[in-house]
Amino acid sequence: MAKTKQEKIDARVERQYYRTHKSAIRLKPSDYVFNVINYAVFAAFTIICIFPFYYLFINTISDNSLVQRGLINFIPRGLNLDNYVRILQVNDLFRSIGVTFARTVLGTALMVGASALVGYLVTRQEMWGRSFWYRFIVVTMYFNAGIIPWFLNMAMLGLTNNFLAYVIPGIVAPYNIILVKTYIESSIPLELQESAKLDGATSLQIFGRVIWPLSKPILATIAIFGAVGQWNSFQDSLILMQSAPQYYTLQHRLYIYLNTTSNLAALMSAGSTSGISQSILESALNGKVIKYTISMVTIIPILCVYPFMQRYFEKGIMLGAVKG
Amino acid sequence: MSREKTGDRVYYPYRFLALLLFVLLFLPALNPARISSLINKSTSLLTAAISYGRLTENMGRAFNKGWILESTMKLVRWSAVGIDLGILAAAAGACLSLGNRRCRLIANLMSLAGGVLGAVSMLGIRSAYVQISATSKPDKVGPILPGSYMLLLVLFVLMTAVSIAELILCERPAKGEKFFMEEKYRLFLLLLPFIILTFVFSYLPLWGLRYAFFDYKSGDTLSMDKFVGFKWFAMLVRNKQTRSDIVRVLKNTLAMSGLGLLTSWCPMAFAIFLSEIKNTRFRRFVQTFTTIPNFISWVLVFAIAFCIFSTDGFISSLMMNVGAWSQGRNFLMDGSHTWLKMLLWGMWKGLGWSAIIYIAGISGIDQTLYEAATVDGAGRFQRMWHVTVPGLMPTFFVLFLMAVAGALNNGLDQYLVFENTSNTNAIQVLDLYVYKMGIVNGSIPFSTAVGMLKSVVSVVLLFLANNVSKRLRGETII
Repeated sequence: MAKTKQEKIDARVERQYYRTHKSAIRLKPSDYVFNVINYAVFAAFTIICIFPFYYLFINTISDNSLVQRGLINFIPRGLNLDNYVRILQVNDLFRSIGVTFARTVLGTALMVGASALVGYLVTRQEMWGRSFWYRFIVVTMYFNAGIIPWFLNMAMLGLTNNFLAYVIPGIVAPYNIILVKTYIESSIPLELQESAKLDGATSLQIFGRVIWPLSKPILATIAIFGAVGQWNSFQDSLILMQSAPQYYTLQHRLYIYLNTTSNLAALMSAGSTSGISQSILESALNGKVIKYTISMVTIIPILCVYPFMQRYFEKGIMLGAVKG
Repeated sequence: MSREKTGDRVYYPYRFLALLLFVLLFLPALNPARISSLINKSTSLLTAAISYGRLTENMGRAFNKGWILESTMKLVRWSAVGIDLGILAAAAGACLSLGNRRCRLIANLMSLAGGVLGAVSMLGIRSAYVQISATSKPDKVGPILPGSYMLLLVLFVLMTAVSIAELILCERPAKGEKFFMEEKYRLFLLLLPFIILTFVFSYLPLWGLRYAFFDYKSGDTLSMDKFVGFKWFAMLVRNKQTRSDIVRVLKNTLAMSGLGLLTSWCPMAFAIFLSEIKNTRFRRFVQTFTTIPNFISWVLVFAIAFCIFSTDGFISSLMMNVGAWSQGRNFLMDGSHTWLKMLLWGMWKGLGWSAIIYIAGISGIDQTLYEAATVDGAGRFQRMWHVTVPGLMPTFFVLFLMAVAGALNNGLDQYLVFENTSNTNAIQVLDLYVYKMGIVNGSIPFSTAVGMLKSVVSVVLLFLANNVSKRLRGETII
C-alpha cells in the first residue's frame, strides 16, 4: 500500500524529532550504567563460550615444550603444525575419522531422502489409511522402551558390531517428517501438484520434479542438523560396538583417549612406517598435546559447517515447537 | 457368492500369511535354521542367509574336530537363502495383490513359487538336522529341531495352498489388460518400507520389556520356567542395597532436573537483555558465538573441561605462572558441588541456543505495544516486565511443561563423560544408573525394570503436563 504524502511527511517529522531529541530520550545516567553492565555481561559470557576453543587451538599449534610447561595461555608461540601430522599415527584414529565421516554422509543422505518422501506421502489424502499410518510413525516420538530393550532389540536384529547400526535406525526421523509435511502443506501450492497430475505425472514423478526441488530449504535444515547429530553421536558406538573397535566413532575414540591416563605415545602404532623411532616419538609427543589435537580435529568439522547452519537456526529451533 | 468375491476374501488370509512370514525373517527366537546350540542365539533367518561367518562363528572347534561337517552348515546356509527368497517372493506377491487382475495373477504365481521354494528349502534344513544329529559329540553340538520349524513349514504349505486357490478362484486378466493399481494402494506401498522400519526400531523394542519379568542372563533363552513376575520390581523396595542406590540416584536425578527447572527462565532473560543491546553488530557477535557450544557433543564439552580444568590445563598453568599455586589442581577429580557444576556445564552448552526461540519471540511482539507503554510513561524495565515478558510467557510455559515432563530423562552422555571415582555418588542419574547396571554389569532384567518404571512415570508426566496446558491455555503441547 502506497503511503500518502501526508504520512511521508509525518514519518519524516517523527524521524527528525527523534534525531534531535535523541540525547534527551536515551542517555539518562541510569541508562548508561545499565548499558555498560549489559554489554559487559554479554561480552564476558561470549568470551567464556569461545575462549576454550581458542585456548585448545593455540596449544595445538605452538611449540610442544612450551605447551608442556604450561606457558601457552593467551598467545601462540613457536608455530608448530607437526601435531596434526603426528596424530595420524595414533592407533585407529584415521579409521575412526573414516567411519564417522561415512556414517555422517550416508546416515544424513538416507534420513533426508526418507523424510522428504514420507513427508510428501503423508500429505496425500487419498492414501489408504493415511492418518493412521502418519500417527503410527509420529507417536514414536513420545515413548521409548528404554536403553536396555533397545540394545537387546539391536542385538536381536544383528545390528551390534555392525556399521549399519549407525545408519538404518535413523532413517525414519518422525520430527523431520513432521517438519517436511508442514512445509509442503504450507509452502507448496496444491495447484502445482494437481497440474503435474493432469500432465500425467505419477506420484513419484511429482515428488521428484515438484516437491523435492521446492522443499529444498527445509531439507537443507534437516540435513545440516542431522549431519551434526550424526557427527556428534557417541552412545550407539559405546553400547553397540563393544567388540568391534574398528567401528568406533571419533567421539568414542576421543572419550577413550581423554580417559587414558598413561602416556598416549603408548597408543602409537609400534610398527609405523614413518621411520621415526618409538623413543623419539614418545619424547616428542606428550599426552596433553595429543589429546588437545584430537579434540581439535573433532571440533573443526562442526566449526566449518557452523556458518552455514546459522541461516537455519530459526527453522531449526522450530524443531522444538511444531506439532503433528 | 460369486467366485470373484470369494477370491477377494481369500486375499485377507493370504496377506496375513505373507506378513507373518516376513516378520519371522527378523526374529531370532523363531529361527528354524538354528539346528545346533552352537549357533548364536541372536541369529535370525535373515542373518543366517546373509552372513555365513555369523552363522558358524562358534563352530571353529566343531569343524576342526569333525563334529560337524562344513558341508552341513553350507546346506543350512543355502536353505536359509532359499527360505528367505521364498518369503520375499510371498511378501512381494502380497503387495502386488492390491492391484488389478493382471497384478494379481503375477502375485499369485510369485507367492506360489515362494511357497514351494520355501517348503523345499525347509527340507534342506531337515536333512542338515539329520546330518548333525549323527554327530559323535551330541552334548557339545546340541542338535535341536526348533519348534518354529513346524510352524514355518505349515506356513509355507498354507501359502502354497492359498496361492493355488487364488489361481483357481481369480478371474484371468482380459487380453491386453495392463498392470494397474489404485492410487491409494500405490501410495501406501511407497510408505510401507518406512512403516516397517518404524515398527522394527520403535515398536519392536517394547517387546524387550518382557525381560523385566524373567530371570535372564545374557545369552539365555527365555522360557516360562524362568518367569519371576514382579521379583525385580519388588527388589527395588525390599533389597536394602538396591533401595539406597535408587534413593540416591533419584535424588541426583530430581536435583539436577530441579536445578534445570529453577534456571529455566535464564534463556528468556538472556534474550530480553540481549534485545536491549542496540548495536546490531555486537548483538550478532554475541548470538553467533554463544550458540556454538550447543553443537558440540558432550564428549567434546568434556575435552574442553579437560583443557581448562585439569592438572595441566589453563587454570592450573595460569596460577602456576603467576606463582599463586606451586602445583596444578585437577578440578575434574574434585567431587564437591557436582550438581551445580553439571548445571553450569549445561548452561554453558545450552544457554545461547535456548535463547534463540525467545529472540524470535521478541521480534514477533507488536511494536505498538512498546510505543503505547512509552507514551504511558513506562521506563525500560517496566517495558521489559510488562510487555516483553508477557509476550514470551506462552513459549516459556510450553517449554517449562516439556521440561517437567522430561524430569526423569536427564540423558546419559553428560553424566557418563563427567563421571569419575570422586563424583560418582552425586552424578549418577537414572539414565546413567540403568546403563551401568544393564550394559556394564549385565543385570539386564533389573535394569529393564528400572527403565520401564522410568518410562511409565515419564509418559504419565507428559500427559499430566499436557492436561495442565489444556486447562490453563486451552492448547495441547503434544
